[in-house]
This record gives sequence, C-alpha cells and structure tokens, in this order.
Amino acid sequence: MVNTGSSGTRIGIARSILHYEFDGAIARFLEALGIDVVLSPPTNQEIFQAGKRVVIDELCFPIKIFVGHVAYLAERDVDRILVPVVVGHENNHVFPCHPRSRLADIVRALDVCDSKRLLAPAFRFDRDGLSAEGFRAIATELGASERACNEAREEVRRHIGDHPSSSEGAQDGPTLGLVGHPYVVDDPWANNHVIRRLERLGCRVVTNPETVQIGYAPEGTGLHFALAARTVTLARAFDRDPMIDGIVFLLPFNCGPDGDIARHLTETAAKPMLTLVLDELQSSAGMITRLEAFIDLLQRAPVAAGGRNA
Amino acid sequence: MNHFTFSWGTNHIAVRGLLRTLGHDLAVPPRISPAIAERGIACAHPFLCFSGKLVLGQLAAQLEDGERRLAFMSSLGPEACRCADTSDYLQSLFSDYGGFSAHRLGGGNFAGALVNLRSHFGPQVRRRQCFKAYAVFYGKVDLLYKVDKRCTRLRCLSSVPEQVRELEREALERVDRASGPFALWRVSRWFDRAAARLPLREEPPSLRIGIVGGEHILSELDSIMAVIKGMAERGILLDWRSGFRMLARSTEKTLAPLKDRCRQYLQEAPSTSEIFSCAHALDFVSEGYDGLLHIYAFGCMPQTALKPILQRIAKGAGVPLLSLSIGDRFAEEGLEGRLEAFIDLLDARKSQGVLT
Repeated sequence: MVNTGSSGTRIGIARSILHYEFDGAIARFLEALGIDVVLSPPTNQEIFQAGKRVVIDELCFPIKIFVGHVAYLAERDVDRILVPVVVGHENNHVFPCHPRSRLADIVRALDVCDSKRLLAPAFRFDRDGLSAEGFRAIATELGASERACNEAREEVRRHIGDHPSSSEGAQDGPTLGLVGHPYVVDDPWANNHVIRRLERLGCRVVTNPETVQIGYAPEGTGLHFALAARTVTLARAFDRDPMIDGIVFLLPFNCGPDGDIARHLTETAAKPMLTLVLDELQSSAGMITRLEAFIDLLQRAPVAAGGRNA
Repeated sequence: MNHFTFSWGTNHIAVRGLLRTLGHDLAVPPRISPAIAERGIACAHPFLCFSGKLVLGQLAAQLEDGERRLAFMSSLGPEACRCADTSDYLQSLFSDYGGFSAHRLGGGNFAGALVNLRSHFGPQVRRRQCFKAYAVFYGKVDLLYKVDKRCTRLRCLSSVPEQVRELEREALERVDRASGPFALWRVSRWFDRAAARLPLREEPPSLRIGIVGGEHILSELDSIMAVIKGMAERGILLDWRSGFRMLARSTEKTLAPLKDRCRQYLQEAPSTSEIFSCAHALDFVSEGYDGLLHIYAFGCMPQTALKPILQRIAKGAGVPLLSLSIGDRFAEEGLEGRLEAFIDLLDARKSQGVLT
C-alpha cells in the first residue's frame, strides 16, 4: 500500500461487472491511495432480487446483478459509490456494449442511490485494461497528489496477471476451457457454480490459457465490442491448445454481442463446445444434466471430437 | 453487375443511386412482412435485435432468389451498434450460399469511403467518381427524409390524405430515377410545389406526439411505422427527428449540441442512437408535445439502456410516455391496440385540462 493512513472517506464498489472485468483494479487503486473501500459481498439471491426489482426486464442478466450490488451499497455506511463510465478503447474502434457503458446513467435514472453519492469517472481502456485518465480523475476528486496517484497506479500494474488461470480439479478427467465475460466466469452465483459443478464431475477447468496472453480487448478480431473480441480470442486459443478437451461458453441472457458470436464459435470450433445461457431462472438440475451429457460426450468420443487424445 | 441490400425504409433508393453512378444496379429489397420476419427469426440467434432479424430475413429471401453480391452502408464509428460487425457475421451466417459476398460501403470520411468502394469495385474507381456517387447518395438521403416527414405531416393536416399518399408514391419514384444532383434539385422543387397545392383541413391537430427510438425501426415503413404513421390520418401530428438520415449525416460537429443537451442524462455518451433519442425527447418535452412514443427493436442495446433514462425524463416533465418494444411476437393488431389506448389517455388528459 502506498498510503497507509486512512483518508476517512469510505467508497463502495460493486462486486460485479466492472470489478471483475478489470480484475479489481479500481479497488486496488483506491486502497493504495489509503481509501477505505467497501466491496459489496459476493452476489446472492437477495442482491439479485434488489436489482431485478428496479431494472427493466429487457436489460441483460448481469446489469440486474450489478444494480442489485449498487442498491446494497446505497443502504450501507459509505460516502460515495463508485460506478465508472467505460467509454471505449484508446484506438476508438473497440467499445464496451451500450448498457455497460451506461451503468452510471442507468443507476441515476433508476434512483438507486442519491446522485450526489455517485462517483462516476470516465475511463478509456487498451489491451492491458483501464488507462490512466480515469485514475487521475478519481485521484483529483479525492484530493490525492499526482505522486500518490502514480504510485497507486504502479501498485495496480504490479498485480496484473495475478488472476488464477485454472481450477484445482482432478488431473485425470477432461480439461475444459471456460469462456465468457469475466463477470459471469468469476461470479459463482451468476454462473450457477459451474466451475465447482465441473470439478465435481472430475474435470479441470481453465479460464485463461497459460500459454497465450489474451489481455483485455485484444485487437485483430475485427469485432466492435471489447468483450466479444476477448471471448472469440479466448475460444480460439482454447481450440488450438492441445491440453484442452472441450470448451464451455457462458452466455448471459440477452447479451447481444456474445449472442452474435455464439453461432460462429460453435460452427468454427474444432473441439466440442457447450453453450450455457445464464439467466435468472437457471435450474441447477438442468445445468447438471447438460454438463454430465457434455462430459459423457467428451469421454466417449475423444477422437471424433478432436480432443487431446485424438 | 447486380447487387442486393437490406432496406431501412427507403434507404435502398439512396444506395441504388450511389451504385448507379458507378455503373451498377441494386435489386429492390422485399417489403417487411410477417414472412420476412419469420425468415429472419429462423436464421438468427435469439438475442439478435428484432431489426437485425428483419435485415437477415430480407437478405435470406434475396439469397434464395439467386442474389449473391451484398452491398451495405455502414460505418465503423462510435455510433455503430453491433451492425458494425455485420460483414464477418453475414459471411459466417450465409456461407452455405455459394458465391455469397458481403461488402461494406461508406466509411468514417471520404478517404475511408473511397477505400471501401475500391475494395468492392476495384482500383479503377476514381476520386471524382466516388465524390459524385456520394453526392447522389447524400442528396437522395436528404430528399427521402424530406418527403417522408412532409408527407406524414400532410397526412394529418391535409383534407385529402389519399392525395398525400399518391404524392409520396410519385415522389419516391422520381427520387429513384434522378441520376445526379441537378435532377434531385428539380425533384425537390417539384415536390415542394405539389405539396403546397394540397388542400388543408380547417381544424388543428388534436394531439402532438413526439416519436423517438431506434433508427432502423423509425425508418421502417412497410409494417410497424405504417401503423404508427396511420395515426396521422386521425388528426394527430407526429414528429420524429431521427432515422437513417441522422445516422448517415451525423458528424462530431452536428452531434456536439445534442450531446451537450443530454449531458444531465448521458455521461460521456459515445453512441449517436442514444444521443438522438435523448436529445429529441428533451426537445419534444420542452416544445409542449402531448406525449412521447419510444419505439425500438427488442434486443436493441442502445435503446434498451436508454429506456430508464427516457422514463426519468418523461416523469420529470409530467408527459406520458409509451415505450413500444417490437420483438418476435410483434403483431400489427396488438400495436394498434396499444396506440389507441395511449391516444385515449392523451385525449382524456387534454380534455380534462391536465397541463403537459
């Protein structure tokens, strides 16, 4: 930590979309500045229901979860609630999807919390994640010096790549590559504990290939949306990786960008691919049955499926 | 060589004008109908927006008729929604049709447009040809918008709506035939004179409704917007300020005042679709319109994200808002029923002296 003295300001951060997407970078930055960060708890039914109550039906599943987290923080003893506005890639060709770039506006419009408590700095991003200007805006807003800001950003950079890339599953079962947006892959409630369920079925689950640095918003896919580009790049890397037997694609309900690429991925992947649509009505029994069927398929026909035993 | 495209209302006339300037032609896209919608739904992912499904339905129908060379107008700028990814997506979707190819026209600026035209038609396309093709394209875009707006207004104000429909039909044919900027100017003058000659009703419009929403849906004319615009003939003045023209014509300079107007509601807004709808809703409210109609395709990300913001604007101003999400289960009868209920509500508010 750069600044060990507490500033007395308590800032709430939703343990949801942007927190997972940028690997906790903003929380780490604030802590390095000496800010008391209050992270909302892992998603649960109560948090989701709080979001669902106020968010319009048509918005995607993760947005409802996100707003639930903000509603949770609004009821807690925090001075500000941080909801970054993610504008687009530095190259001005790749963008977040529209609802994700409008999170602060949606929170304001829904009156989830007093607008004055909302801290909504604008960020751009590049291949490595959030770029400097948003961090500077936060530091300025909180009265931190430029030096403290730079040191805190250095602290953030030190932790890039810390994220675990695979689970501790059985070594003799199939190895599966899990693709999807970080905020569904890393949120066990949102993905209905898919990693744990796969491990119980004897699988090892890989979320980031060790051999390839995917990064955030990889370029070269020609795609317009940052996370769709990441999903395609990740899926292709898993498809090439001889250690991966099959791919599980987590698709949140009503996600436009990933919906568009789902068919393309399924048709072009050489390895078996299971697409699981995640929504608020998810049934554990249904998911377990589908996972079991997929594992059976991998174990019975590895040669035809193009797995590592092919 | 013949090309085909999808149609946002009449925009294919402008695309055809561009292609004809370069010595090519464009097939007439099929009208939007339940069969076209079903065709699109069958080949699309369920999460694709309804506009996208209509587009795919039109393309699939034309591919089945033997068309293979798709030319479509799209940019890759920040205003683009997922349609910006259309080219690769379509290649993957229609790979079963041998010889199918998709070519993006347009671009962020003149140089980009020239590169796209050359990639499609070959390096022989000259700068001067490109300039003329786009002069015709933009001339037709502007004139088509003018005809649509003026005729919808006249359907409310004129005492002979059937003559308005006839005028609109003839105007579209003349715009389609016009081969250069001068010919377009002559069509524009003819249209202005013909429109001015139409007799008007004595009574003023009973209601004024401002329409905002997704550009694709606002530009559609065969089914959804045909029902919406049918309200005009009941003496209701309909106004909308967006559509294909706004997308084709928008620049950072024209967007700046709109962004400024939306600042309270849209922070750092990069997307024009949201800016148009938000700014125009604020305009309609400040101009004392009786109601707001928000119409968009189910699954349209910008408009869905905007919906709670429009609700906040309408609530703050005390203006009734009807949000119509048009999806796979869309039926014209259901749309008419909801519109009638909305009009009844607005009539009742107005007759009871509720200030709006």
